[in-house]
Amino acid sequence: MVGIVMKCEHLWKTYEPHLIAVKDVSLKIGEGEIKLIFGPSGSGKSTFLRCLAMLTMPDKGDVFLRDECLTKPGVNLNKERARIGFVFQHIWLFRHLTALGNVELALRRVLKQPKEEARENALKALREVKMEEWAHHYPAQMSGGQQQRVGIARALARNPDIILLDEPTSALDPELTGEVIDTLRDLAGKGTTMLIISHEMPFAREIADEMIFYDGGTIVETGPPEQFFTNPQSERAKKFMTRLIMKTRRE
Amino acid sequence: MFGVFAGLAFGIVLALGDLYGGRILSVIIRGYVEFFRGSPIIIQLFVFLYVLPASINYLVPSLHFQFDPLTVGFLVFGLNSAAYQKGYVKGAVEAIFEDQMTAGRSIGMSRPQTLWHVILPQALRIVIPAWSNEFCSITKSTPALLVLGIRDLTAAGMTIVGQTWRILETYSLIALLYLIWITAVTKIADVVYEKKKIPGIEISA
Repeated sequence: MVGIVMKCEHLWKTYEPHLIAVKDVSLKIGEGEIKLIFGPSGSGKSTFLRCLAMLTMPDKGDVFLRDECLTKPGVNLNKERARIGFVFQHIWLFRHLTALGNVELALRRVLKQPKEEARENALKALREVKMEEWAHHYPAQMSGGQQQRVGIARALARNPDIILLDEPTSALDPELTGEVIDTLRDLAGKGTTMLIISHEMPFAREIADEMIFYDGGTIVETGPPEQFFTNPQSERAKKFMTRLIMKTRRE
Repeated sequence: MFGVFAGLAFGIVLALGDLYGGRILSVIIRGYVEFFRGSPIIIQLFVFLYVLPASINYLVPSLHFQFDPLTVGFLVFGLNSAAYQKGYVKGAVEAIFEDQMTAGRSIGMSRPQTLWHVILPQALRIVIPAWSNEFCSITKSTPALLVLGIRDLTAAGMTIVGQTWRILETYSLIALLYLIWITAVTKIADVVYEKKKIPGIEISA
């Protein structure tokens, strides 16, 4: 029985007045599992992911990180969020800090590690994403792919229970996505629990334990990657996959 | 001189208050800013020296409230500068705010922490060129203190002229002194800006 790292139950999030981004969604993800969410733009995937990290407050429903309920009142969300790593589509590194500074910040200010220890751990995280040599460079001096790798290091540094990634490669030029995907592949190999929103289909097929098709605010279909590539069960998934595969073939 | 720094500190408080404080605070702050930006500084000085104490004394006669001119000078310049600087700071903060706040919270920092460690360091660097303009502006306004009877550089100049009738030399010298002072400080501001500039973020004043 795999330990559940993160789960949500009957989650709802509506943007006034009529846009329901998350409609009664429940999901579980276990230790070491890698699940991939995909679906049409605007379907609410990002909102859903942010609700899990409590960066956006859900209207109804519960989110659990291991045994802790994050949605009940009186929870120290900052402490809980320190156990979740989040990687953003647009990266959003702290531009006034070097790569090392970016990764260190949480270690020093949130986990309150002493200077030496924080530096050690930050360098270790940068090493994992192969950005150690760029430790003293500023984000503006790096390419998008390098910045995103630092973003991943920033999420990793606190040894979080789970890493949530919101389309980590979508904002990058195609030539740069490769390095980020390689990094994620390494992390997957090490058994990191990850929930990724992405449209990189070959990558999904390779590393995801389960793929989740999200459309119109709900989970329409879930299953192992092969299911989506050979025989999607639902109509919407079928249509989406056909379009996606045709698009990938053309590129 | 003091006025500009006090203005900066208070300006930051105001900008944050306006952004976060909720409707009532916003309205109060906006009113305050409009007053200081919308009226000549000499009038503001008079208001503080005469009108305000008189109103307070009217309401509570036992107080015999009085401002001495020097305090008024400091106070008004400080508040005035703050009113302008709130605009600069707010603009700078809004330019970077949303994303950086989300990123900060995603690593487990609270809102105040994120403000202090992430947003303000960036916003303050953006503000430097505008600040140096503000400094020029304020320094050139100091002759207004004349109306309160405080002796500033210009007043000294007028006295000298009254005694020596050397109009040309005196005022040229005064102008030169102002020029040197302002140029020196703005040059320093430029150097600070260059050193502290975040690579990749360029804002033209």
